[in-house]
Amino acid sequence: MARLELDDVTKVYRGDDDEAGVVAVDDVSVEVPDGDFLVLVGPSGCGKSTTLRMIAGLETVTAGEVTLGDRTINDVSAQERDIAMVFQSYALYPHKTVRDNIAFGLEESTDLSDGEITETVEEATELMGIDDLLDRKPGELSGGQQQRVALGRAIVRDPDAFLMDEPLSNLDAKLRAEMRTELQHLQEQLGVTTVYVTHDQTEAMTMGDRIAVLDQGELQQVGTPLECYHQPSNLFVAGFIGEPSMNVFDGHLQTTELVTDSFTYSFSAESVSDLDLEEESELVLGIRPEDIELGERSTDEHRFEAEVVVVEPMGNENIVHLQFDDTPTDDEFIATTEGIPSVSSGDRVGVVFPEAAIHLFDADTGKAVKNRRLSFTGTPAEMLQ
Amino acid sequence: MGRIQLDHLTKRFGETVAVEDVTLDTEDGEFLILVGPSGCGKSTTLRMIAGLERPTDGNLYIDGDHMNYRVPQNRDIAMVFQDYALYPHMTVRENIRFGLEEEAGYTAAEMDEQVEATAADLGIVDLLDRKPGELSGGQQQRVALGRAIVRDPEVFLMDEPLANLDAKLRSQMRTELQQLQADLDVTTVYVTHNQTEAMTMGDRLAVLNDGRLQQVGEPLTLYHEPANQFVAGFIGEPMMNFLHGHADDETFTGSGLEYPLDDRLADAVGDTDELVLGVRPEAIDVRRADEATGEREPGPHEFRMQVAVSETHGDQNVVSMTVDDEETDHDALRAVTDGMHVVTQGDSVVVTIDPETVHVFDGETGETLCNRLLETDPELAAVSSN
Amino acid sequence: MSQSTSRSPIDVESLVENFNYRRVGKYALVVLFLGFFLVPLETGIMTALKTNSAIARSLPFAPPAGEGFTLTNLEYAFSQLTNSFVNSLLMAVPATLLNVLLASMAAYGLTMVSWRGQIAVFALFLVGVFVPYQAVLVPLSQFWNNMFPLARMLEPLFAAIPFLQGGHSRLVPLTITHVAYGIPICTVLFRSYYKSLPNSLVEAAKIDGASITKIYRRIVLPLSLPMFGVVFIYQFTQIYNEFLFSFTLITGSNHPAAPVTLILPAIGSSTEGIDFGIRMSAAFLAALPTIILYVAFAEQFAKGLRTESG
Repeated sequence: MARLELDDVTKVYRGDDDEAGVVAVDDVSVEVPDGDFLVLVGPSGCGKSTTLRMIAGLETVTAGEVTLGDRTINDVSAQERDIAMVFQSYALYPHKTVRDNIAFGLEESTDLSDGEITETVEEATELMGIDDLLDRKPGELSGGQQQRVALGRAIVRDPDAFLMDEPLSNLDAKLRAEMRTELQHLQEQLGVTTVYVTHDQTEAMTMGDRIAVLDQGELQQVGTPLECYHQPSNLFVAGFIGEPSMNVFDGHLQTTELVTDSFTYSFSAESVSDLDLEEESELVLGIRPEDIELGERSTDEHRFEAEVVVVEPMGNENIVHLQFDDTPTDDEFIATTEGIPSVSSGDRVGVVFPEAAIHLFDADTGKAVKNRRLSFTGTPAEMLQ
Repeated sequence: MGRIQLDHLTKRFGETVAVEDVTLDTEDGEFLILVGPSGCGKSTTLRMIAGLERPTDGNLYIDGDHMNYRVPQNRDIAMVFQDYALYPHMTVRENIRFGLEEEAGYTAAEMDEQVEATAADLGIVDLLDRKPGELSGGQQQRVALGRAIVRDPEVFLMDEPLANLDAKLRSQMRTELQQLQADLDVTTVYVTHNQTEAMTMGDRLAVLNDGRLQQVGEPLTLYHEPANQFVAGFIGEPMMNFLHGHADDETFTGSGLEYPLDDRLADAVGDTDELVLGVRPEAIDVRRADEATGEREPGPHEFRMQVAVSETHGDQNVVSMTVDDEETDHDALRAVTDGMHVVTQGDSVVVTIDPETVHVFDGETGETLCNRLLETDPELAAVSSN
Repeated sequence: MSQSTSRSPIDVESLVENFNYRRVGKYALVVLFLGFFLVPLETGIMTALKTNSAIARSLPFAPPAGEGFTLTNLEYAFSQLTNSFVNSLLMAVPATLLNVLLASMAAYGLTMVSWRGQIAVFALFLVGVFVPYQAVLVPLSQFWNNMFPLARMLEPLFAAIPFLQGGHSRLVPLTITHVAYGIPICTVLFRSYYKSLPNSLVEAAKIDGASITKIYRRIVLPLSLPMFGVVFIYQFTQIYNEFLFSFTLITGSNHPAAPVTLILPAIGSSTEGIDFGIRMSAAFLAALPTIILYVAFAEQFAKGLRTESG
C-alpha cells in the first residue's frame, strides 16, 4: 500500500529527425492518496495510457518525478516497482493454465515456497470466484472469466498499486456493468491504491474516488466525479463529462443580458454583478440536457421557443434534439426528458433554461466563469467540498 | 425492393445450434436492429443474410428472390464490418472503387465520379489518396461506409460498426449513420449489443437469445411491453429489477418483501404459482426515511430499505438497496434517482413501488403475464397537440 | 531494457554506473558467437587468396602476406564454374518462381476458400513435406528416363537455342522435380501467413462482388508480398544447394548441363592430392549468389518473418 504522486511529469516522443518531438504528456501533477481510486479519463490520444505506462515503468519519463510510497521510481525498472497492471487485452499466457498464469508473477517476484504460492493463488481465485477454473487454459474461458483471471494475477502479488488500462472495454454491456461493481468492491476490500484508465463515461463517473481529466497531454481537472460534473473548471471538462454532452451557446454580455444568435438570456442582477465581468465579454453559456425543461410550465423570461428535430426514446428517458429558429441546420441542442415521449419531431415547444443550472465560460480561454448553483436533496452531501 | 424475409431460418455448426427457427420480415427501407448478448446468434443471422454462411434449414428471401444458395456477390448487398476490413494496401480511393469495378456498366470515368461523389457526401474527399493505416478510427469508419454506399445496394448489413470507436465519436457517428440511412432509404440490418444504439437507431428491434427470436417490435414497445423476462431484462440499463416469489391471497411474497397485488395484477397472476415481479429502476421512488414518512407507518406499497451502494452519474444516481434486517449480501432493488437527489451508503430509505408500474412474469416459463400501465405526461401531451 | 539515459557524453558517473558484470557478460557472449560463425568463413576466404606454399606455411585464418597473395585460384575456379553457374541459375530461378507462385495459390485455396475435403488435401501436402529425397530417387529416374522421357523429347528444341547444346534439356525435368518437391513446404509456410490475415478482408471483398481469382490477385497477393520474399529466399537456397536430384537426373560433373553442386566436389582434387586454394575459391564463388540474395533482401526477410509471427 502506498501513496502515488506524479510531479510535473512530462513525456516527449522524439522523432528521428524533428527536434521538437511529440509531447504526449505535458507537465502533469496528480497525487493519489494511499488506498484511493483515481480514474484517468480523456478522449483517445489524450495521453492517459502513456501516463499509466510511465507509472508502470513501460515508458521512460522525460521530465518530472513519479513517486510511489516514499521513493522516486523514475529509474526503477518495471519488474522492481511492486506494481500490478491489468491490460485491455488481459494479456494472459495462452499456453499456461489459470493456476500457472496467476502463480507466474509470484514465482518471478517473490521467494515464496511452492506451498505458499499454491495457497496464495487459491486464496486469490476464491476471492475472484474462479476457483473451479484453475486447471483450464485461457482459451477455454469466457471474456468475463478471462477478465477475472487477469485481476487474480494482479491481486495475488499484493502490490503497492494497481494500474488498469481499460480493463472492461472488451466485455459486452451487461457483463461490463457487473464487473464494474465487482471491481469497485474488490478495490475497497483490498484498499490498494489504484489508477484506472478509461474513456467510458459511466466507469469514470461511478468507479473512482476522484477523476483526472486529460486532454492533449494536459491535465484539465482533478476532482470527485460530481465536482467534475457540476463544477467543471473549463469548457473541455464540461463537454467531455456527461452523456449527452452539455449544450453550449456562444454569446456576449450586455449589462445583465447574454446575447446569443438565437436568444437573449437575462440574469438576475446579483448573479452577474458578482462575476465582475466587462461589458461585451465574449462568453459561452452551458446547460446540461437534463436541466432543460420542456413545456409551458412557467412564463418566466428564461423560456424560449424551439422546434423538435428528432426524439430518440430510450425507454427510461428521451433524448430530444431541438433547434431554435433562424439558426443553421446542424446547430442543434439536446434536452433529455423522462418517461414516455410526449413530443415528436416538428412540434414547437417551450424551452426553459433555469438560471440555477446555467454555466458560463470565457470564450477565449474556456475557463469556467460561473458554475451552476447546487441544491442537493436527499443526503445534503458533503461530497462537493 | 430490398425486402428481407427470413423463413424458419436455422444454422447449426456441428452439434451447436447457432440460430434456431428465426422468422422475420422487414419492410422496404426499414432500419432493423438485431440485438442480444454475445453468442446469441445475431452475427450468424447477419452473415447468413450476407451469404457468408449457408443456412442449415429454412429459407431466405431478398426482394422475393430465394437466396439460400446465392453467392454474396450476386445478392446486391453491402456490408460494414466491425473492424472495417479496409484493404490496407489500397488508398481510400481504390478501397471505395473496388466494389464498383465488379458492377457491370460503369466506365472508368463514371467510377471515379461516383467515388468522388460518395467521398464528398461523407466528408472524406481530402483523404482519398491516403492509405487506411494513416487514418483515425472515425475516418476509417467513414471509408468503410463509403465503400458500402458507393454501390447503391438493395440492402445494407452492419456488424457492430461503431464498436471500435470511443464514446463521443460513437454518439456522433450514430446520428450520422441514422441520417445517412434515412437519406438513402435502403433496407438496413444492424447488429449491436449496445443499448443506446439499439434503442435509438432502428425502426424496429429484434431481440435474440440462444439463437431464438424473443421479440420483434418498436424499441419503446419492447421497453414497456416486453414479451418475456429475457427481453425485459435485456432492454434497459440499469436493468429491470426482478423479485422472485409467489402469490397468496392477492399478496406477493418473496425477496424479503410482501407486496399487495391490486386487481389488475391479481387477475393477471390467476393461479400461477411461481412469479417474478419486474419494476424498472426509474419507476421506483426513493426518499430518505425521515423525510418520507416521519413517524407514520409505511403504506402498503412502501418499504424500508438500506442503501448499499450509491453511484453518482451526474445526471442521475443509481442506488442499490437491501431490505432492512435481512441478512443477505444480495441487493434487493436498484433504483434511479434524479441527479440532484443524492442518498449515500448506509442511509435508511423508504421505497415506493407504484402497482401501475409493475410487470408480472411467469416464474417458470418467463412469459409475461401482464405489463405496466402506460400514460403520457398530460402537460407535455397538451403542448404537442397544440 | 536499459533504464538510464546518459545526459551528456562525458558523464563519468553514469558511465561507471552502467558498467556492470551482466552487461560485460552479455557482450562477451555476443563476440564469442560472432567468432564462432565468422572464423570458418574468414579462413575459407583467406585460404582462397593464398598460394599453395603460403597455405602450407601460415596459420589457416591468417591473412595472406606479400608473395603469398594470389588471385589465380579464384580465376581458375571461376573459369571452371562459369558454365555451371549458368546451368544452376537457369534451373533455380524459374523453379523457385514457379514454386512460390503455385504454393501461394495452393495455400490461398486451402485456407481462404472453403470447400469439402480441403482438410484431406492439406493432409496430403503435409505428408509431402516429410518424404525424404532418398526415397524418391529411383522412381524419379525411372519416371524421367523410361516412363516420360521429357529431356529426350525436348532435345531437338534445345539444340536450336544458341549457347545451349541439346544436353541442357535435362534441366527441364530437374526444374519440374524441384517445383513439385518444394510446393508442400512452401504451401505450409504461406498457409500459416494467410491464417493470420483477418478473415473479414476476404469476406468484404466477396461482398464487394469480387470473384475468387480477383480476391487472390487484388487483395491476397499484394498483402503477402513480404511472405513472398521470405519463401523465395528460402526456396532459392534450397534448390540452388540441392545435390541429389541433380546428380540423379544430370548424372555427373562432365555433363554440359551440370549445375554448381555437381561441379564443386570434383574441383581442385586430382591424383596429386587436394588443392585447398582452388577448393576454397570455388566454394566461396558457389556461395556468392545466395549471399547476395540474403544481403539484398535482408530487410524484406526480417519483415516477412515478423508479420508471420505477429
